[in-house]
Amino acid sequence: MSILIKRSKSGCFNSACNVKLWRLNSTSADSALKKGEEEEEFRVLDILKKRDKMQRRVVKRTDVQPDRIDRMATNQNWGNVWPGPKTFHPSSVPLPIRQGYVPKGQAPPGKKANAELMKIPNFLHLTPPVIKSQCEALKQFCTEWPNLLNSEESIDKHYPLEIISSDYCHASPSIRNPLARVVILRVKLADLKLDKHSTDKFKRLVGDRYDPKTDLVTITADRCPTKVQNLDYVNYLLTACYHESWNFEDWEKEKTEDDMEYYDWDNNASKRSLIDWYLRIKNESKIMNDEEYKAFDISQIENGAQYKAAVSIYMNEGENPQTVQEYSIAVRKLFGLPQKKLF
Amino acid sequence: MFTRNWKHLCRRYSQAVTFRTSEIYPAQHNENQIGFFYTIKPDLCKQLFNHGGLPKSFMKQTKTFTETAIMVRQPALDVMDCIRASDMNKPVIRYVLYGEKGSGKSLTLAHLLHYALEEGYLILHVPWVSEWLRRTPRHKEMTNSQTKEGFVDLPLDAAEWLLHFKTQNQALLKNCEFKISKDYEWSKREKTEAGSPIAALVEHGINRVKYACDVIDALLLEIKILSNSKQCKTFVAIDGFNSFYYPMTRLNTPTKKKIKPEEVTLTNSFLELTKNDWNNGVVVLTIDQLAVPDENQESFLPRYLLYKKGFEHLDPFVPIEVGRYTDKEFLSCANYYRDRLWLRGPSDLETELKFTSASNPYNFMLQCAPL
Repeated sequence: MSILIKRSKSGCFNSACNVKLWRLNSTSADSALKKGEEEEEFRVLDILKKRDKMQRRVVKRTDVQPDRIDRMATNQNWGNVWPGPKTFHPSSVPLPIRQGYVPKGQAPPGKKANAELMKIPNFLHLTPPVIKSQCEALKQFCTEWPNLLNSEESIDKHYPLEIISSDYCHASPSIRNPLARVVILRVKLADLKLDKHSTDKFKRLVGDRYDPKTDLVTITADRCPTKVQNLDYVNYLLTACYHESWNFEDWEKEKTEDDMEYYDWDNNASKRSLIDWYLRIKNESKIMNDEEYKAFDISQIENGAQYKAAVSIYMNEGENPQTVQEYSIAVRKLFGLPQKKLF
Repeated sequence: MFTRNWKHLCRRYSQAVTFRTSEIYPAQHNENQIGFFYTIKPDLCKQLFNHGGLPKSFMKQTKTFTETAIMVRQPALDVMDCIRASDMNKPVIRYVLYGEKGSGKSLTLAHLLHYALEEGYLILHVPWVSEWLRRTPRHKEMTNSQTKEGFVDLPLDAAEWLLHFKTQNQALLKNCEFKISKDYEWSKREKTEAGSPIAALVEHGINRVKYACDVIDALLLEIKILSNSKQCKTFVAIDGFNSFYYPMTRLNTPTKKKIKPEEVTLTNSFLELTKNDWNNGVVVLTIDQLAVPDENQESFLPRYLLYKKGFEHLDPFVPIEVGRYTDKEFLSCANYYRDRLWLRGPSDLETELKFTSASNPYNFMLQCAPL
């Protein structure tokens, strides 16, 4: 084998090339020996390019700038560093944050190149000093809180209607939360101008939404997709119920004793039984129709008023040992029986 | 007996250790004897309760203990006081015993029945209403009523009740001459004349089961007339009265139509009886959660169990609560069980049992059973 010497190569290697011409016939097993002699005498054919690769890896990148963290002063204005909502940038945030799945025996992953930290929304643009400065800037457009609205009662008096809604921040790629569309309207029934018939009708229309203990009507709307629409719907419901309860329909005249929401003793069978009993005692039993029963004056019957009160409470307030006890006392007085002795 | 009681006295029970009273006449029971047991003579017991009246579990207990012992408790004494204080010329006063399950209503009623017997009342006792309306063995004997359109008769139950009435009142029926006031024609050939004794009417009902329900109607009417005319004083005792007012019964016609209680003749007879349009009598009713199916057993208070109709029918009535054992009664009961060798073990067992059974008489009885 002979190789043509190319004179176009750099002249310093000419003599070396001459030397190498002869060496090409030798085996590759001698290459280790030849390394030391390479620069002096012959070129060595490097097929696998091992040495070049090793050299390349050792070379350092020297064009990376130092992190911004290292150049931050401790008394800097953070609002200038992070002026608006921005994806998390680890080299700008001087905090040693760790987030993510914790492998066994190791610490959670650090902040550099942490996809999880970058995915979630951060509020680094709304730190308290920044908020304060924003509020200060907004204050010039605001008026003062009215002096006389200094207690709960006065606020309730002037602003009886309450609208309750929630805002949410979702910790996922989308910050929208479907629960944010819910709107609740709360108002005290006493603040609405209703008379006896219309309060009863309003309560029946509103049903479960009325809480008798606190006298609050709570209307919740979540059927529309946005909060604004639900708010409109809730307002509509309140106005509709209010105006409907003032209307008197024709069929409402057919209300019977069973539909009554409270127990009126005078219209009920209890009065009839009492009157029958009383007349029988006096041996004057006679058949009376409804009108006469209603008109009968029970003040003639002794202890009748107490009995009437006891039965009314029993029926209206519901049954509990207390009301039964009062009823028993009243009936015993009526019959002239001794009261229950306590041993 | 005496030595055994004395042995108990020697034990370190700080509360009253005697649990028995020798007073067997309920009329003479008073508050000194609250918490004490008194025994009823066996033949009296048979006379009163042969066809029911005592709860089944209690019957088992009487068999084990070979005696019928009832505790004197405040509700019974209360009713007895009221009966004594009430004016017999006024319309009947209705007492309603109410209380939790197992608090002792049926036994209080039994105590009052004994009192009525001793005082010479004519007793009209319905042992357990649900037996008629809800307990349906495979084939319940039911017929359509002949005299009333659309109503249903329960002839066998009616005949059984007439027999019960006869046994309870055998003394009175034999001695006094209670005559019926008008003719009752049962069929072309059978007739009960006016002026014949009530006993004959009852006999007819027992013999001719077909007419038993109508006989009951007639009987109750006659008894009302007799009471009004002061020939006898009547004691009406009905256990499980609220069963009459429950919307459904478990009875079906042959055409599988469900029957409501008001379509049964027996219901109407006894509802007529509990009206306060007669005098010279006492009406004691118990209302029980067990008389209605499980879904409707939320509360044991009268208005809930009687529904509106029942309440209006009975109003005004005297509600009497039968509560759990007081401490004294509880200890007395525990002592009784120990005496009968039903409860064995250390004396601290009582505090534990009081807690676990919550002083409910029935629960206490159940829990002592395996001990």
